[in-house]
Formats: sequence, C-alpha cells, structure tokens
Amino acid sequence: MNFIKRFSSSPLPYYALGLLLLALTYLLSAATQDSSKLSDIFYIIFGLGLTALVLLIGILIRALHGLYRDFKDKKPGSRLTIRLVSLFVLLILVSTTIVYSFSVHFLHRGIDNWFDVKIEQALDDALELSRTALGIRVRTLLKQTRMMSVVLSEVPVSEFNTNLRDLTQLSGAVELSVWTMEGQLVTSSIQNPNIIVPNRPNEAIFRQLKQQQDYIGLDPSDDERLQLRAAVQIPSQGIESEQKMLHVLFPVNERLSSLGKTVEDAYTQYRELSYLRKPLGRVFTLTLSLIVLLTVLASIWFAIWISRRIVQPLQALADGTQSVATGNYNTQLTTTGHDEIGFLVRSFNQMTFRLTDARDATELSHLKLEEQTNYLAAVLGSLSSGVITIDKKNSLKTANIASSEILNIDLSPHLERPFDMLETQHQHLQSFVQILSKALANKTSWQHQIELHAELQHQTLMCRGTPLPNNTGWVIVFDDVTSLIQAQRDIAWGEVARRLAHEIKNPLTPIQLSAERLQSKYMPLLPPDQTDLLRKLTKTIIQQVDAMKDMVNDFSDYAKSPSLQLDSLPLDTLIHEVITLYQSNSKHTITLKEDMALVLKLDSNRFRQVLHNLIKNAIDASEEANMPVTIDIGYSIIKKTTLDWVELKVRDYGPGIPDDMMNVLFEPYATSKVSGTGLGLAIVKKIVDEHQGTVRAKNHDPHGTCIIIHIPLKRVAP
Amino acid sequence: MHACVIVKRSLIYLSFLLLSNIAQGAEHISILYAQVTKTDTNYSLSATIYYPLSPRIIEAIDHGVPITFYQEFQLLEPFNIYWQWQQNVWSRTVRYQLRYHALSKQYILLSLGTLQRRSFPSLDIALDDLGKIESLSLPPKHLINSSILTLQLRSGVDIHALPTPMRLGALISDKWQIKSPWVDATWP
Repeated sequence: MNFIKRFSSSPLPYYALGLLLLALTYLLSAATQDSSKLSDIFYIIFGLGLTALVLLIGILIRALHGLYRDFKDKKPGSRLTIRLVSLFVLLILVSTTIVYSFSVHFLHRGIDNWFDVKIEQALDDALELSRTALGIRVRTLLKQTRMMSVVLSEVPVSEFNTNLRDLTQLSGAVELSVWTMEGQLVTSSIQNPNIIVPNRPNEAIFRQLKQQQDYIGLDPSDDERLQLRAAVQIPSQGIESEQKMLHVLFPVNERLSSLGKTVEDAYTQYRELSYLRKPLGRVFTLTLSLIVLLTVLASIWFAIWISRRIVQPLQALADGTQSVATGNYNTQLTTTGHDEIGFLVRSFNQMTFRLTDARDATELSHLKLEEQTNYLAAVLGSLSSGVITIDKKNSLKTANIASSEILNIDLSPHLERPFDMLETQHQHLQSFVQILSKALANKTSWQHQIELHAELQHQTLMCRGTPLPNNTGWVIVFDDVTSLIQAQRDIAWGEVARRLAHEIKNPLTPIQLSAERLQSKYMPLLPPDQTDLLRKLTKTIIQQVDAMKDMVNDFSDYAKSPSLQLDSLPLDTLIHEVITLYQSNSKHTITLKEDMALVLKLDSNRFRQVLHNLIKNAIDASEEANMPVTIDIGYSIIKKTTLDWVELKVRDYGPGIPDDMMNVLFEPYATSKVSGTGLGLAIVKKIVDEHQGTVRAKNHDPHGTCIIIHIPLKRVAP
Repeated sequence: MHACVIVKRSLIYLSFLLLSNIAQGAEHISILYAQVTKTDTNYSLSATIYYPLSPRIIEAIDHGVPITFYQEFQLLEPFNIYWQWQQNVWSRTVRYQLRYHALSKQYILLSLGTLQRRSFPSLDIALDDLGKIESLSLPPKHLINSSILTLQLRSGVDIHALPTPMRLGALISDKWQIKSPWVDATWP
C-alpha cells in the first residue's frame, strides 16, 4: 500500500507510461513490417497496451482527484481550472466522437468495398470453368482407367506387375497400384523411381468402390500441383477370387494445373477474406476504439495539465495579491514567460517593489517623526515652564511634566478631554480655566498673569498663548512667577531696610547722647519740681531711641544676608536647646513631640533664630490674647516631587492669624502684635529660603496656628 | 454505496457469463482410445481421437480458412518414490493443417512436420483420419523402465495459428477453444 502511494505520488507513472508507449510503438512497427511476428508478440502488445491503458487511467484519476481536492479545499484558481478542464474535455469529446464515428463508418465502408458481387461471381465462374476444363480430361481418364482394369482383369495376379509397368508407360500415369478392397497393396508401378511406397487411397474411396461406384477426382499433390486420382474395381476373375481395385494417379497438364492453382488460390483467398470481413472490421474497430480511448484519456490528462499550467501563474497572482492585502509587500512572483500573464506577473512584481519602497519611505519618515516627537517631548519635559496644547475643540492634547507640577495636579488623565472639565474637578484652577477660556476666543497671541488661590498656597502664573498653524489649536506656555515676585519683593524690602537702618541709625546716637547731656547739664539748673519732668522726658527720649535702635538692628539683620555656615546637626538636639531657654517660665508649655534622630545640614545660628522667632511669636500671640501658652513642635520626613523633605511644624493654641493677613504674613511689617517690628516671620522666611525650603502658615479649628517649614533632607550617615 | 452495488452486480453477471460459457463449451475433443503396444524392439502408440467441430469452425473451414490442430504427447516419470511430482522426460507435438480445396472439392490434411498431404472428399473422413494415430514410435532410450512411465496425450485446435483478425475473437470465445484434457495411455 505504501509502495502504491509512493509510486502514485511520484513522477514514476509518467516515465513508466512513456516507456510503455515507446515499447508499444516499437513492437507495433515490428509487427507491421513482419506480420508473422504479430502472432508471436500479440500477447505482449496486448498486455503492454492494457498496462498503458490502466496506467493512463490511474494517472487521469489521480489528476482528477487532485482537481476535486483543490476544489473542495477552495484553493485559489481551482474553479477556473475546472472550468477550463470542462471546456477542453467537452471539445475533446465532441471532436473525437465526430472523428471516431466517421472513421468507423469509413472503415466499414472501406472493408465492404474490398468485396464485390461481380468479383465473387467471376471467381465462382473461373472455378467452375477450371472444373469444367478438367472435367473433359477426368472423363477420358476414367474411361482409360476402366480399360486398364479390364486389361488387368484378364491377366493373372502374378503378371500384374509387368502389366502395370506397361500400362504406366502407355497411359502416361504417374502411379498405378492394385489394392485389395481391405486396403492391402497388391502391386504398384511408380514412374518416379525415388518414390517407393505408392500413395494409399483413403477410406472414402474404398467405401465408394465397395458400393460399385468408380472414383475419379482432382487431388492436389505434395508439390501443390494438381493430379487426378482414379480408382475402379478390377472386374472379378472368378467367383472365389478376391476383389481388387486399380488406383491410378494421372498428372494434369502443367499449364492447366498452374491456371487451376491460380484460380483456386484466388478463390480461396477471396472466400477467406470475405469470411474474415466481420472479424477484420471488429478488430479494426477495436483497434481504432482503443487508439481513440487512449487519445481521449491522454488528451483529458493533457487538458488538466495545460489548464493547471495556465492557471498556475494566475493562482500565484491571487496568492500574491492576498499576501499584499495582508501587508506583506515583499512578495515577488516567478516570471513565467513573455505572454500577457508574464506581463501581468512582471507588473505585479514592479507594484510590490514600489509598494515596498513606499512603505520603507513611510516607515523612515514615521521614524524621523517619532524621533522629532521624542526630541520635542524631551525638550518640553526638561522645560521648567508648563507647556500645554489645546485643539480647536478645546480638548487638552498635550501637557508636559512641568505643567502638572506648576498646577499641582496630574494632567495626564485629562488629555483628550475638554479643557473646561479641569475647573469642575479642581477648584483652585477656576481662575486659570476661566481666563484661558476667554483668551482662547481671540485669534491672536496673548499674555496674562493669573493668580491661583489654593488652600495652602497662592501662586502667580504668567501665561502666554500662541495659536497653532492652520488654526488647529493653541499652545499655552506658563511659568510659576510666585517665587520671582516674592524675590523681587524681598530685594525691595531688603533695600528699604538697609537704607532705613543706614539713614535712621546714624542720627540716633547723637539724639541719645544729646538727651543724656540735656539731663546731666540742665538737671542741676532746674528747680526741683521740674527735674522730675526733665528726667521723664529725657528718659522717654532715651528709651524711644533704644527702641528705634532695636528696630534698626532688626532691619539691619533682615537686610544683611551672610553666607550660610552649614553643619550637620541633629535636629532634635537643636530644638531641645532652644526650648530649654523658654522653660524658665512655668506658664509656658513647649513640647517636642517627635524623638526621631535626624541629622540635617543647617546653619545652626540662623536656624536657632528661626525657632526663636516662631516660639516668640507664638508666646506673644497667646499672651496678648490671654490664652495659655502651649506650643507643640514636631517634625517628620515627607516625599514631595521625588525628593525627601523634613516637615517641621510649630503649633500653638493661640487666637490664630486673621484671614486678611494670611497673604502677607511673611512680608515685613506684617504683624498683629501690639509691639514688634513685624520682621520676625519675614526673617524666618528669609532664612528658610536660604536653606532652599518653604514656609507656610495654617490656622487650625477652633483656634491656633501651625507654621509648617519644609527643608530638603540631605541625610548624613550617622 | 451505489458504486458497491454496481460492482457486486457486475461480478454476479460476470460469473454467470463465465459459467454459461463453460456449459456451452462442453463439446470437447475427446481421446477415445490410447494404447501403447510393444513390438519386437520398440513401443508404439495407437490412439483414436474424436474431433467434434463446432459449426463455427466448420464454417471457417468451408470458407477456406486453414485450421491447425495439434496433438501433444509426453512421457512422464515420477520424480522419486516418495514424492508424487512427475517430470517430463520426453514430449512431442504434431501439427496438422486442415483446409478445403475448392477446385477439387477435397479437404486437405497437411502434416506441418513432414509436409505430407492427404485429400479427403468429406470433412468427417478427414477428421476420422486426423484422429487415427497408428503406431507412433516412442523413443526407446526413455523406455528402459517402462513400468513407472506414464504416457499422456491431448489434442486441440491451435487458435494462435488462425488468421490475425480471427485470433482476438477466438481468444475470447469459447467456441474456438476446443481441446481435450491430458489422457493417460494404457500400457501393455
């Protein structure tokens, strides 16, 4: 079974068929050249023919099965192949049937034409004529034979031999022999000395003679010449004598014999041919049918082969097109020839080549675009300014990292969403969204300063909007200028403080000295009742000058900004040192809540001043409001914008900060206290700023204030 | 399923056809008598074969088609005592051609071996003569131990000698395939 499968799936059947057909052709040509060979090799030819037929049918079945399988599997091109094969087969069958019918008809007519009634009659007549021509001689010879028998009847048997010889000589017979009626030879005389045994008459002659009938007949001799055979009974010599017969063979005239042979041969041949007419027709029809069958089968197989051959490039084209449709542009088909299909295949190859080129170019440009986008994104990401783009439908398209940091929200969830929705989800962006919405209605570039009021801090943003090309949207760039404005204010205040200190400090000492001189010089001169007044007045002047000096010193402290002397300090120790100074007053409760070991890089003197100022402010505020002085100090580590910070909280339970002062709390002269310069918190902020930190204040319910300081944590290994 | 039914029916028809052909071709050439006789120095065979020719063959002969008959003889001896296999030690085939001579109205029997011909006025006599085997000499060198020998003979019409157009028909028709089975001759 395996062998059959392997054999049928390989090209071996084609080779075998080719070899068989070659062998058949050779054998048929050999048989045609020598017809006697046909009988010897008939079975071989028949067997080979049958094998070739079976092989061809097998090949055809295989090809048809392949077609059916392709059709069933819905392979591309199978329908077209079947259609082509059907057309070819129809054409082959119609044309072959017509040719076959006419061939069979002409074949039989041709065979029939060999025979003619007239020829048959002529041959019959010729035969009869030959018989008639010989008949005259037959009768003469019969008479002669009878006479010879009469002669023999008159001589004794012992003299038969001599008489026979004489009679042979006289009659010109070939052979004379005397036989008993039981078939035993009595004597004979043969003209040919080479022949010893006489020709024995057959049983029929004996039987005829026994019935008292003489026999005379033509008889073909061994050398195919005609001779006449006559047999008569020798008249009985006595009642008791045994019956004998004379058997004579006469030669026939050579000319007559030759003519008779020719007529006989022609007649026999014609009769044989006439008899063989039907088998001959059958054999020819069978041969023709076999050839036609072989031709039809071979043609059908060829039709299948040629159809597949024709459809193959179209199938390849269909496959290629499908491949291109699925995105494989590298498909290249094998060029089949220089016909139209070949042209189509070449065009397809050119098309895929160009498509590949175009795709590569697109990919390259896409890559470049991506690189540019990444570059732009990197640039935008590294910018400290916030950059956002809004399309013409007011949807947020892009936002860089800085924009999210400045606005204190994550903008990525808001991308591809209406920009106005920011306002509903983030209250502190209300003014930002409203101003931008108004500004976006314009078609030209614009610039606005926007104040954001968050719960904990206030921001000032500088926004610039520029329309994108082709009116596709806007690009908005904004910066947080809060620090810048603050710095400008700080510088201005510093300058004011420095000038104030310089301008005021100078005349204060002469004023104080003058007041002390007035007291010492005019005290003795005045009457005693007025000396107290003078002392009071000069004392007031001196006290106020001292107070002004303190104030000027404060201004001076605020104005000057010496470079920081950073040391690694444990924060808890520093706080404890400052708290210890205030613990002498039993009414004050100052507590450090945390006890975590934390080492920070700080300027110890200036940071102590921060803590002093904050504690002092808290004590002053609580005492002025007649509230118990309770201060909680705590610190912890928090994470903000990928950095670790130390959050230091100083909380009191005093009256809290009025709302109107909240915005200017850390600016100079911002104070609600009865006494004081209003520089305490300004100095705190200045020092915290110098430590790259931030400070803010927060009121607590029902009362109390919390000052929150954020200092970047720069941990030092313990 | 349909194909199976067709194949099954075809097989039934084919077997029926074959059986009917065998039944029709029951008229075989038969060997009526076969006897080996011993002469002084040699053994010879005498036999009588009956040739019942079918009308088809008679018709062919009457139309001048020569028909060839063969007579086969073979001497067999056992391969060994224990084994029933027999080996052929001698064989001979004699062929005769029978044809009608229209001019002389005679049936000519030609021995294809010796090229001797004999004429007969009727077909029956010719066939009688054909079937009469008289004193066919057997080879003396193979007959030393004649008691274990078997002489077999058979006869038939040689269809391969027919004219080519008739041969194909004769090959597939039982009317032409007439032959006798092998028959053992009786030993003295």
